[in-house]
Amino acid sequence: MKHLIVMGLSHRTAPVQIRERFAIPPGRESSVAEAIKSLPGGGEAFVLSTCNRVELYAAVADPAAAQEGLPQVLAEVGGQDAGLLKGHAYIHVGADAVRHLFRVTASLDSMVVGEPQIQGQIKSAFDMCRQQGAAGAFLQRTMDQSLRVAKRVRTETGIARNAVSVSSVAVDLARQIFGDLRKSTALMIGAGEMGELASKALVDAGIHTLLVANRSIDKAVRLAETLGGHPRGLDELDELLVRTDIVITSTGAREHLVNPKQVKKILKARKYRPLFFIDIAVPRNVDPAINQLDSVFVYDVDDLSAIAQENLASRQREAELAEQMVSAEAARYLEGLNTQSAVGPVIKALRRRAMDIKIEELGRASKKLGDLDPGQQKSVERLVDGVINKLLHGVQISLKRSQGQEEGALTVALVQEMFKLEALTEEGDIPINGSAAEGAANEDRRRP
Amino acid sequence: MEIAFGIGVGLFALTTFVYLAALWGEQESRGGLAHWMLGGSLAWWGVLLIVWAARYGASGGNRLLLGISAWSLCAFYMLLLRRYPITALGSFVVAPATVLGTFALLIPNPGAALVASSASWLLGVHITLAFIGITAFTFATAVSLLYLLQMRLLKDKKRSAMRKRLPPLDVLDRLSLRGIVVGFPFYTVALLLGSAFALKIGPNAGLKSAYIFAGVSWAIYGGVLQARLMAGWRGRRAAVLTAAGLVLAMVVVAQYTLGFA
Repeated sequence: MKHLIVMGLSHRTAPVQIRERFAIPPGRESSVAEAIKSLPGGGEAFVLSTCNRVELYAAVADPAAAQEGLPQVLAEVGGQDAGLLKGHAYIHVGADAVRHLFRVTASLDSMVVGEPQIQGQIKSAFDMCRQQGAAGAFLQRTMDQSLRVAKRVRTETGIARNAVSVSSVAVDLARQIFGDLRKSTALMIGAGEMGELASKALVDAGIHTLLVANRSIDKAVRLAETLGGHPRGLDELDELLVRTDIVITSTGAREHLVNPKQVKKILKARKYRPLFFIDIAVPRNVDPAINQLDSVFVYDVDDLSAIAQENLASRQREAELAEQMVSAEAARYLEGLNTQSAVGPVIKALRRRAMDIKIEELGRASKKLGDLDPGQQKSVERLVDGVINKLLHGVQISLKRSQGQEEGALTVALVQEMFKLEALTEEGDIPINGSAAEGAANEDRRRP
Repeated sequence: MEIAFGIGVGLFALTTFVYLAALWGEQESRGGLAHWMLGGSLAWWGVLLIVWAARYGASGGNRLLLGISAWSLCAFYMLLLRRYPITALGSFVVAPATVLGTFALLIPNPGAALVASSASWLLGVHITLAFIGITAFTFATAVSLLYLLQMRLLKDKKRSAMRKRLPPLDVLDRLSLRGIVVGFPFYTVALLLGSAFALKIGPNAGLKSAYIFAGVSWAIYGGVLQARLMAGWRGRRAAVLTAAGLVLAMVVVAQYTLGFA
């Protein structure tokens, strides 16, 4: 039976200075997987390398041997001493490894719980190893189940429900005001890094037009080129405020760039269309009193951060529920694997037992029936085969259906007991395609 | 029949409660349950109204008129649900439908026509058109109240599960305008027919006061519509005026159904 084993480093166990030394360069994943496969008892392998983790997965018959070999493989990839891994690397085997994989795929082990990228990263890493032949049926089945569990966690808990970065909170709020952002226009004032991030998030969300205004028109042109927007001079601000729906301010100005009087004046020209200010500058560029005006909303960096923090806390609460879900799913999956590994031999033993009886009975019958011509012998054998197959069909179906079910182990035990299979499974192989002649020979051997 | 109408009102009330739970609670699946309950309530009321119409005739009966109004308000909402994410609007639509259903259950002489001289075809058309208009205005008002609530939540700047559940301001604004655009032509013709009827039956104090309320509500909706369509007006003021117009229109409905006019 194969056992899953994982060894790796993550943001939880190793600082970036360590992680970067063992990072697997893009394109080298499959050669690393091959190295894992060549370990003693190695069967299947796949490798996951992201900015937050480097993990080597293997499905092996001998976990103890793999435990010794995996750190060496990782050390060789980075050209580092394996001793550096001490205190930073973790190894999980069997049930713990399955649970770990499920947690990682469900984004419960991510730096930002619930972030969606990890599933895509795992899927593409696995696909690459599978295409190279490093990952086989066991890992494929485990990975499929892992992705199914991750989907269930995302849909049935709230771990991915709320935005947790300032930029994404701003985009969420813009959506709650304007709905479809594809019809909205945004204006970015200034060249601050946070403002640029928020503008980029709006562009990614499909904003219709992005205008970039700056005191220096050259800077505006450069930024507009980077973000795919249109440059404007800051002297046009009043006119721009009439045209835009979302204003992102991120300048180093010491005083307010936009004041209530100014906005009050343009509201009529805007026909009271909502106006959303995202003020990421410190000191603030937009007078907070503007939030009191009709149809105008002002969020500064603290407002956005507070929402992001509360959303993060809410994700953490949901993560507790998700952890229980993942543990239950991992236990169920392992139970299914165990039952599956027991069902195969039991079915084999059952067929062997049936064939044994067939050979015995045919031998006995041939003595009584006398000489049968080959055609008659075939007919008798076909008759017995038909009876055996019909009798065993239902039992085999029940055994196969019991795989992964709670009562699976009980079904297996019951069949073993009913057909007295325990002793048979321990015996050597019995010829499956027994015939009347062999049966007669066996019968002779048994006689004193 | 009274018990059946009572159950109908109970179903609407229960659906309102589930919609409210979906709006406030953390479980989004409650919205789906509420939609199913509303579908069931509509089916129940549909059968009830058909049976009632068979007993009292398709044109007569306060109960029939109020029941149809409640039913069409919810049916209109369910139709819009196919296009807009407006689960949060559910309680705001089904609650007025519950009120209309309660009126239908409690009014004296439910099988009698709204006004004694309803034999006049003019009055029959007037009442029908007025109720269609008011149903559309009720929807517009429900949406406007939601607009005001969403605006308040956005102004408060706090993290709120409800804010995420409510439709965007822009969607609410457009839906409110749509409600008025649909209702206003019906309401206008209803008022013209009502004036013709008033002139025909001569002076009546109750009718005069109802006519004043109806006229003012018509002027409000006309003003809001003109400002919104011609001048692109929107936002809080439009939402408040939409609600004010409905209050006046409901005074007229109350005057008739409770027998003051």
